[in-house]
Amino acid sequence: MAFLELDHVSLGFGPPNDRTEVLKDVNLQVQENEFVAIIGFSGSGKSTLVSLLAGLQQPEKGCVRMHGQPVTEPGPERGIMFQNYSLLPWLSVHGNIELAVKQVFPRYSRAERKAHVERYIEMVNLTPAADKKPSELSGGMRQRVSLARTLAMQPEVILLDEPLSALDALTRANLQDEIVRIWGEDRRTVVMITNDVDEALLMADRVVPLTMGPEATLADAFTIDLPRPRDRTLSNSDPDFKHLRNRITQYLIGLNEEAKALRVDERKEMPDVRPVDFYATRRTSFWERLRNNDTDAA
Amino acid sequence: MAFKYKLLKAIDVAGLQVFDPVVRLCYGEEPKLQLRRIGLFIVIPLLTLAAFVALWAYVGPRHKTKAGEVPSPAVVLQAGQDTWRFDAWEDTKAADYKRAGQDREQALAAVNARIEELEPQAEQAAAQLAEVEDAYRTQLMEQVKPLYDEYRQMRVDFRDESQRREAELEDRAAHLSGSVAEREAFLDALREHRQWEEGEKAELAAFKDQIGEIEDAKAPELEAARAQSNDLGQELQYLRKRRDQLTSDNLSLKLADAEQRLEQREQAFLQASSGEEALSLANQILAEEAAMERIETSTYAKPWTLPDQIMRSILCVFTGFVLASIIAIPIGILCGLNRVFMAAMTPLISLFKPVSPIVWLPIVFIIVGGFIPEPSDSALLDFFNAIPVLGAYDVNPAFLSSAITVALCSLWPTLVNTALGVAAIDKDHINVARVLRLGFWSRLVKIVVPSALPLIFAGLRISLGVGWMVLIAAELLSSSEGIGKFVWDMFNNGSSQTFAQMFVVVFVVGLIGLLLDRIMIVFQRLVSFDGAPTAL
Ligand SMILES: Nc1ncnc2c1ncn2[C@@H]1O[C@H](COP(=O)(O)OP(=O)(O)OP(=O)(O)O)[C@@H](O)[C@H]1O
Ligand SMILES: [Mg+2]
Repeated sequence: MAFLELDHVSLGFGPPNDRTEVLKDVNLQVQENEFVAIIGFSGSGKSTLVSLLAGLQQPEKGCVRMHGQPVTEPGPERGIMFQNYSLLPWLSVHGNIELAVKQVFPRYSRAERKAHVERYIEMVNLTPAADKKPSELSGGMRQRVSLARTLAMQPEVILLDEPLSALDALTRANLQDEIVRIWGEDRRTVVMITNDVDEALLMADRVVPLTMGPEATLADAFTIDLPRPRDRTLSNSDPDFKHLRNRITQYLIGLNEEAKALRVDERKEMPDVRPVDFYATRRTSFWERLRNNDTDAA
Repeated sequence: MAFKYKLLKAIDVAGLQVFDPVVRLCYGEEPKLQLRRIGLFIVIPLLTLAAFVALWAYVGPRHKTKAGEVPSPAVVLQAGQDTWRFDAWEDTKAADYKRAGQDREQALAAVNARIEELEPQAEQAAAQLAEVEDAYRTQLMEQVKPLYDEYRQMRVDFRDESQRREAELEDRAAHLSGSVAEREAFLDALREHRQWEEGEKAELAAFKDQIGEIEDAKAPELEAARAQSNDLGQELQYLRKRRDQLTSDNLSLKLADAEQRLEQREQAFLQASSGEEALSLANQILAEEAAMERIETSTYAKPWTLPDQIMRSILCVFTGFVLASIIAIPIGILCGLNRVFMAAMTPLISLFKPVSPIVWLPIVFIIVGGFIPEPSDSALLDFFNAIPVLGAYDVNPAFLSSAITVALCSLWPTLVNTALGVAAIDKDHINVARVLRLGFWSRLVKIVVPSALPLIFAGLRISLGVGWMVLIAAELLSSSEGIGKFVWDMFNNGSSQTFAQMFVVVFVVGLIGLLLDRIMIVFQRLVSFDGAPTAL
């Protein structure tokens, strides 16, 4: 029995006459203390998948289970970091994190809580901005607050929806290490959405591609058995690493082309006829005449 | 530099952005731009104000009414000063009543000295006024007498000519032949005569009006003399009243008197020989003690003055406003949270929202009266009168009715805005609450209310504005002491002095309304979190 699983899950949006089936027949088994990265194109349904795992949405078909029990509502044991950060704009950075900490660790004394919050603010390098409101922060800073809030809840399962997409390379590398450290030391289970193949390779045990929507589903996983700790400086030289990256990239390119081909096929075939020229006597331009000559000759 | 930005921020939060360019100019930041902004935001509004005052000064005095002409800005300013001086004088008298010992003696000496100083001045002013009046009257007579003579002559001439013409017509009528043409001609002649008569009468009336205008014309020196004499007279009267408060009416003196009487009785009681006498004296002692207690708690009966009435109005509007908020915010939150509740409330809201204060007030007045059968002995009134600041302004049924009417009319914007703010809460924020498994109350207090707060405060701001407008009408109707009552009293008085005071009230009401709005803007800014500027 898997720790966290999606069992033949389908979900769509909209009324029957205007429906988009976003996810169809999705299966995923996440083992305890596993690090799974889900990779896929924009709009394919990754965020929908995460909110199903969190319990914020219920599947129309199939079942989401944790410890074998159906997930019916969200809860702090499955901490989710939203793609749009969802910070409370009237609270400061400290206040936003404190709200979550207060709820998850009600027994903490005031001092303990303060120390806990400050530790996570420090982790994402936001100590100087601790008293600022979200509207006074840059996009990347907000993303880091959101990450800190989720990690500060110390959830069993950490669900991260593109957690580092807005950050510069250096901050990003630091936080990747931090997430992997927390995952390893505290023995958490992580499901992370990303669209960066290198990031997935550096962090995950398994990379699962989501096919192009609509009716997206999870494809076969790539198991990343690179030894840990993984050194990002080796990513350009290490043959295993390069090999995996090529395979995943090729697979994604394939998905993309397949999707394009599908779309071309979907188009109605038009009979290959040339319109009758009703205005044969009309003066045609030089270029038009040239073009006509061309096709006539062919 | 840091101070500059703190100052600018404070100005912004206080809603005084008008002064932003002034501060920046003082720091020498882009002087050209700042000057242009000062021109736009300060100079142009001031010019408009000046143009308005000039127009008013020109047009106002040209319109005559029963209560004198429409007062000019200068007259209104004077009336305002008089109103505040009256208040200050009354306060001084109230203080005098309580003065005791050396303090009282010093004050009395000062008052007496001033009276001595003023009395000859007042006499002189009265004499001068009589003189000026005489001079003016003779000068007027000289000017007007020939005109009256001319007028009388014109009337005599008119009467003679009219009689002559009428006799002629009578004569013609007596000798009319049967000819149609002749009879028609006679009719025409009569018609022409009547027209002439009317024309002459109109001319006479116009002439008389001209004389009247000359007689009514203001003589500046006479007005000045009269004003000076009046001023001195008023001040003297005030000083004499003060003297009364410091002597015959004074609290400490009355108390001393009573104490002395009490002591006499006590002495007599100690020496009383017969039982009958002792009993009678003991009774007298008790009566004296009660009288002393009454005197001790008595205060100077200060009449209502405009500043006090303004304070009472402000307190009344706040009472109503607080009441409205207590009702509107919870109901609004429930409406926003629950669609069923919203559907249930909608007809009530739509039905009662447009009802005018004029309709609410009498109903409220009667209902409040039902709760307070005996104003002198009512737990409800005692409760309100025990509130520190409010109690000093005598909460009575009229006050409560006005406040409740204010609440009934002003709760709607807050209610609707609160419901809107709560219903429009961001789905992402709800998701955060769901993930954290916040309970109903934490969700309400930590997510729903803070996110709706800017809209709630926008509603409160509108409510306070509406309440202030409603209050004046409610006070006027319910005769609750306040600005509305002041206006009503001034209207019923109907003199040119009170007419000017009604204009004073216009500015007072406007300024206070502006101030209340500013305060609400500050609050609105403090709770707004998206950094979006609040509409002015
Ligand atoms: N509440 C909704 N109502 C209707 N359609 C929705 C809703 N939420 C998502 N969708 C649709 O579901 C599809 C997947 O959305 P989703 O947000 O999961 O994409 P995504 O893979 O996370 O994309 P991105 O990488 O850009 O974040 C989109 O086509 C979107 O239009
Ligand atoms: Mg997404």
